[in-house]
Amino acid sequence: MAIQIIKKGIADTIQDIGRYGYQHLGIQANGYLDYQSARLANYILGNSVNAPVFEIHFPASSFCFTRNYTICISGANFVPLLNEKSIAINTAIEVKQNDILQFLKPLEGRIAYIAIQGTIKEDSWLNSHSYFANSIQKDAQFEWEVSTEISNQFLKNSELLSSEIINEMHSPIFSSGPIQFIPGPAWNDLTEASQKLFLSTEYHIGMQANRMGYPLKGALLQLNKPNQYLSAAVTRGTLQLLPNGELMVLMADHQTIGGYANLGQIILVDLPRLAQASNQTSIHFMETTIDTAHKLYQQIEKKFIHRS
Amino acid sequence: MNWRLALLGDHALVFSLEEKMSEEIIEKIMALKKSIETLHFDFIKELIPSYHTLTLVYDINLFYQNNITVKNNQSVVEFGNDMLTAFNSAATNSTIKNAAEKIKANNNLIENNSFTDREKIIQIPVCYDERLGIDLENIVSRNKISIEEIIKIHTEETYLVYCLGFLPGFAYMGKVNAAIQIARHASPRKEVQAGSVGIAGMQTGIYPMNSPGGWQIIGRTPIKIFDKAPAILGKLSAGNRIQFYPIDFAEFEKLNEYK
Repeated sequence: MAIQIIKKGIADTIQDIGRYGYQHLGIQANGYLDYQSARLANYILGNSVNAPVFEIHFPASSFCFTRNYTICISGANFVPLLNEKSIAINTAIEVKQNDILQFLKPLEGRIAYIAIQGTIKEDSWLNSHSYFANSIQKDAQFEWEVSTEISNQFLKNSELLSSEIINEMHSPIFSSGPIQFIPGPAWNDLTEASQKLFLSTEYHIGMQANRMGYPLKGALLQLNKPNQYLSAAVTRGTLQLLPNGELMVLMADHQTIGGYANLGQIILVDLPRLAQASNQTSIHFMETTIDTAHKLYQQIEKKFIHRS
Repeated sequence: MNWRLALLGDHALVFSLEEKMSEEIIEKIMALKKSIETLHFDFIKELIPSYHTLTLVYDINLFYQNNITVKNNQSVVEFGNDMLTAFNSAATNSTIKNAAEKIKANNNLIENNSFTDREKIIQIPVCYDERLGIDLENIVSRNKISIEEIIKIHTEETYLVYCLGFLPGFAYMGKVNAAIQIARHASPRKEVQAGSVGIAGMQTGIYPMNSPGGWQIIGRTPIKIFDKAPAILGKLSAGNRIQFYPIDFAEFEKLNEYK
């Protein structure tokens, strides 16, 4: 084996784009919390952009490489150290046998991604490598296999990717600005005063944020009817109103259906920004339209040359 | 019945009927699901039925690359409305005439299928021994009914699966006879054993795996209703009809697939 976990992090997993097509059986999609950073790391290495990566939360796991690899760390800056020396993020880094990768402190963001050049050597389940409801344990071992096709793609991508372009893909995820949402089925069940409150006041991410959902701290909201609905499917980014008036944003490990008021959905383009926001970040919500959401999404997608 | 179409954010649509738990409604939902499935659109990632809704999750890029939708310069809402129009078969000169015809042809098939589905009842053995049905006593004392009567009533009915969720493979089934209905525990148990059969209000369900849970447990099935193995994955799905039958403790142990 070629990558060994020598210290266990609090909630580290392997994630890819997610497990789709099984939610009618109650099987969650899972997948990257911040798909933009994960894809950027893969893209820099010439991997398929939706390939499995390590998703790292702080305090993070420590890794020992038992053979040479090219890796790339993107997303949050946890001050990565290779053999105790600081290394850059969003950069292809060569690691040698017996090198040790650790993370020092959470400088910016909530979630870091480590992509390994090549293809993971591990069985997938229902076409995905995404973990659900468990995390990577100490002494776990992983292996990636490098193909010439990926190495060639790597060379091609490195010619295309200037540091300006990489920065253009990375910095919006860590920028401020309102989080855009599209009103959902229960938006009009909010009292008028609550609608105004939601659109005009600031929220913060609560302490219990995890891969299932981010609780929001701020103004409590009220419905003009009981908060009881027949369960229906929810998606990542769903703004759910809990019976106590608090809000919860459903994230990648959300259950497939929910019976609380579904106020709306954060658009895909803004989800990575919310996923990476700290507990101190002031969050404002802004209503948008599907046309805007689709335009913004396609602009970001155009930056990646698609390979899957 | 009037369909409604709404956006669920920027990558899902939701088709809905009147918000109530009804056999007629879930059957319509399942029929719409089958209709859309047969069209094999590559941009559809999920079709998730639940009580009175069908949620269609799509890939934004593939939606705009798809031939039919691009040719007609359609928005997702227009696409969704076309699906409904085609399903209702009212307008054959729909912008996606072929799709409409395909759906029509399939509707005939589905009607035949749903007839056989209706006849097919999945039989599930349950051991109602008090060692496994750890909340039977609650129903006995609150509903003034004997354990024998609870078993008789729970096994007499056929239940319809209205949706799956909460856990992989967890089927929400109804409707439970009023005589044995009971509210869930005020605070959930830390761990309910896999296979446990529970009641929550007018619904009954089976825990597919060990999990925290608040349903009142009346027994346990020895049969695996969910496993990572693809063959067991979809053992229960929305629209299925289920009937429970009682087995004793010795038989439970003999059949137990959770060992």
